[in-house]
Amino acid sequence: MSLPLATAWRIARRDLNARFRGLRLLLVCIFLGTAALAAIGTLTAAIEGELASSGQELLGGDLQVEVWQRDLLPAERKALGEYGTISSGFRMQAMASTPNAAAPIGLKAVDAKWPMFGTLVLDDGRKVGAPTGTDAWIANTALERLGITVGETFKVGTVTLRAAGIIKDEPDRLSEGFQLGPTIIVAADIPEQAGLLQPGALYQSKHRIAFSNPSRSLDGIGESLTKRFPTAGFNIRTRDRASPGADRFVRQMSDFLTLVGLAALVIAGIGIAGGVSSYLDQRRSSIATLKVLGATSGDIVRIYAMQIGVAALAGSLAGLAAGVLVTPLLASALQGLLPVDSGFIISFPALALAASYGLLVAFAFAAAPLLRARTFPAMALMRSGIVPLARDWRALGVTALGIAGICALALLTTAQPMLSGGFLLGAGGALLLLAGLGWTIQTLARRLPRPANPLLRSALSNIHRPGAPTGALVTALGFGLAAFVLLAAVQSAIDGNIQRRVPQEAPDYFVLDVPQAKEQRFIELIQAEFPKAAIRTVPTMRGAVLAYGPKDRMTRVADLKELPEGAWALRGERGLTYADTLPPGNRVVAGAWWGPFYTGEPKVSVDADFARAVGLKPGDYITIGILGVERTARVANLREIDWESMGFNFALVFSRNAISDAPHNLSATIDLPDGADTAAKGRLLRALVKEMPSSSVIEVGGILVDARNLLQQVSLATLAAAAVTVLAGLAVLMGAIAAARAARTYDTVMLQVLGASRRQILLLQLAEYGLIAGVLALVALGLGSGLAWVVITQLFEFDWLPDWGEVLGVLGLGIALVLGFALAGSLPLLRAKPARALREL
Amino acid sequence: MTSPSLAISARNLTLTLGSTASPVVILRGIDLDIARGEVVALLGPSGSGKSSLMAVLSGLERASGGSLQVAGADFAALTEDGLAAARRGRIGIVLQAFHLLPTMTAAENVATPMELAGMPDASPRAITELEAVGLGHRTGHYPTQLSGGEQQRVAIARATAPRPDLIFADEPTGNLDAATGEEIINLLFARRAETGATLLIITHDASLAARCERVLTMADGVIVSDQRPALAASA
Repeated sequence: MSLPLATAWRIARRDLNARFRGLRLLLVCIFLGTAALAAIGTLTAAIEGELASSGQELLGGDLQVEVWQRDLLPAERKALGEYGTISSGFRMQAMASTPNAAAPIGLKAVDAKWPMFGTLVLDDGRKVGAPTGTDAWIANTALERLGITVGETFKVGTVTLRAAGIIKDEPDRLSEGFQLGPTIIVAADIPEQAGLLQPGALYQSKHRIAFSNPSRSLDGIGESLTKRFPTAGFNIRTRDRASPGADRFVRQMSDFLTLVGLAALVIAGIGIAGGVSSYLDQRRSSIATLKVLGATSGDIVRIYAMQIGVAALAGSLAGLAAGVLVTPLLASALQGLLPVDSGFIISFPALALAASYGLLVAFAFAAAPLLRARTFPAMALMRSGIVPLARDWRALGVTALGIAGICALALLTTAQPMLSGGFLLGAGGALLLLAGLGWTIQTLARRLPRPANPLLRSALSNIHRPGAPTGALVTALGFGLAAFVLLAAVQSAIDGNIQRRVPQEAPDYFVLDVPQAKEQRFIELIQAEFPKAAIRTVPTMRGAVLAYGPKDRMTRVADLKELPEGAWALRGERGLTYADTLPPGNRVVAGAWWGPFYTGEPKVSVDADFARAVGLKPGDYITIGILGVERTARVANLREIDWESMGFNFALVFSRNAISDAPHNLSATIDLPDGADTAAKGRLLRALVKEMPSSSVIEVGGILVDARNLLQQVSLATLAAAAVTVLAGLAVLMGAIAAARAARTYDTVMLQVLGASRRQILLLQLAEYGLIAGVLALVALGLGSGLAWVVITQLFEFDWLPDWGEVLGVLGLGIALVLGFALAGSLPLLRAKPARALREL
Repeated sequence: MTSPSLAISARNLTLTLGSTASPVVILRGIDLDIARGEVVALLGPSGSGKSSLMAVLSGLERASGGSLQVAGADFAALTEDGLAAARRGRIGIVLQAFHLLPTMTAAENVATPMELAGMPDASPRAITELEAVGLGHRTGHYPTQLSGGEQQRVAIARATAPRPDLIFADEPTGNLDAATGEEIINLLFARRAETGATLLIITHDASLAARCERVLTMADGVIVSDQRPALAASA
């Protein structure tokens, strides 16, 4: 009884417009959803692949051990040697200078085995290893700052070096982390010769190990080394986590992109449901005619499923192509932040997943209108008007099955099932909420007293009459406007964080490693150039927390399987200081500060947030390791710190008698008067380099620019990704309005025939859409800002700082767009003569 | 079991629409036999139930009660889809508003019912059928590119192309001017004569009814008169 597939296809193809007229909303929604997922999947796969496959190159070894302010002890070196070949070196801030210029730099001293993986490429194309003698590979920006060219000399500390080549590509750049100056690579013995490894100087020694057995497992290496050398303060990384900063950022971006992809999918799904519904509504007459000619309901499903399938396939393929094409743009926006090639990337699993999502969403959301279309009666041709269709519970079942498939696919393929599951649940809740809202608006409109004004009466009845598209309109507008709010809230919150985290008021310079004995001379040098400069010095050393808690049952950090949330100060070595008075910008919130000449039991003041994270309270104890020596102090008080005041802030501040005997230098901040003379700044830098060659100066202005650029890059990448959701939202919005407008055409023409002016009809539509958009603006504000809150605070771990003015402005723009589009579409109809419009109906 | 000479046999046919709470009775116990090859006109005022009776007899609507045999098939026992399958190739329908498929050309419109009925060579036959109704030069045109009269010619070609046993026409000239309407009726009668099909035509036009072998008149859901003009004229 049912039609052969070939015949069904012939009829379907004939009935299908070559330019997909009527199915364009479906096409656009699938295109956007698939493109977003293809781009996201491809990019994430490429980054993860790069991180995994280039782990050795990024890290410079299979294993890396960092330690502050000292080299490895023989026992430690022997233990590491058991794993394979060791390549050692140092990292530190330093000053490079010529007689006429001085520049803060990041000094990277490497031994002859460096790089064990990858190659250093110079600007002139040479592929080289570690420099020898007093040669240095130098970053172009350092060369420019010093005003020299390749072959010329400059000084670092007390050593004169020769710029032997310009660094173009440094294999382990990403794992070096954020650096406070351009890189200069020198031989491993240079820091010692330059006098930069004095006791107390702030430097790191880095030791990379290439395993003698490359297939050796990485599991448990970190834990076993920490257990073996609990006081060493090792910071250990393995090749699978070559760049924790990049890993964390990849995870955050990947989570964000997953959410963007899912949001695009949900919105696309709504668009698909709306698009298919309105397409099949337009086809009612054709469906009825086909039934008159003998097509069964099964034939109808087959014919229209084929058409929708073709459109879905075309949309998916175009989406995959667009996804692949757009990935290089996203990659180049993230260049420098993440290890990703900016060329074309094709990841077949990612593309297959995106296509599966696209088709599954098309199936799930098209099934209900398609199955409903089966029941369009042939008699619809003979009985004019709207024929209400019976509810098709089978359609609900098929939709539920499709949605379950999407959820299963999302949960099985995501790295963050909780996040994705939470989002899908939230999206389901939002859909139910909007469906409920649509029903409420219709019910209220039905129960309101009928206005005497015929136009108002018509506007009201348009909302609740049988067949009114209010429900679909509410869902589409709700999600569409929510996408606008989401984008505005995320963008303005990131901008707010850039403003807040990168302070406008900051010291002009940080100076590290000022010898204690030269403190007075240091101040004199500054005041000679800038008598009104504000100078603050603090003792600084590095040490790791080894244990904490009540005296009789202290927790050993080495025994912790996982660090408590917010206990970042337990991770590796941290900056430590001692003080007689409460540091400026700090406030004691529990316990009491010790006096200036305190000589009793060694004490420590702890950051209140850190104390909360690890459950410390006044009276408990902390044991730290400084240069291999354990020291214990009693917690005297808890402090609240204003971390955003860009000065020296320490989680742990000790009493002078607790740690001042450990070798250490001073760090300093210098605030220059406004409009300080550039030439005087240059003189000051050169004087500091000359008299204190082991000290290094960090120019804050440059760091702020770098930090702002970094955050703006993140902001741009999120904007680019989230724009997909807004585009999908926009398409759904336009589609829903276009579909609703088609249903209004008859009324518009009839009202004109009955004598309504164009202005009155426009006002009528304005009233109707204004009412719906007004109610939905509130819902969209809640939905969009709720999702934005999750993205900003839970994913990016930023502060929730949206600019509500901007958010409301963008929402207003969205509403204006809705009203504008609704009205603009009516204008051609209003301009036409009623008689002609009637003929065309 | 109906006589093989009957195209339609209906007994106590009823049709009730609307909800259970407020039912609207459309047909109230119709008894009707139409012989194979007979040409029948169905007259009556608006709302008398003509179109509904045609819908039930052509299988577009299921009767609420009674028995109905059409072209040997028990329509009362068939589901909606069963009725659709029963229409294929055996019943042709021409409607007042033409109802051509707007996305298909004239030839494709004509080919579609033959394809649904699984007939071979549907496309070349569609061209032949269009030539037979004088539209050989319009085969590739879409409905919007055709005049009202041309659209109705396509509709007639589409209804008669599968060589159906029965042709139903619901006011086929209602949307046309008098001259074009006359041409269309001539064409419809000519095509019917060629195929030998039974024709049931709904009309308000007494002169058209006079051309039919039999004239049924309906009022308020029942057949109130059943006349044979030719017999009356000869009597």
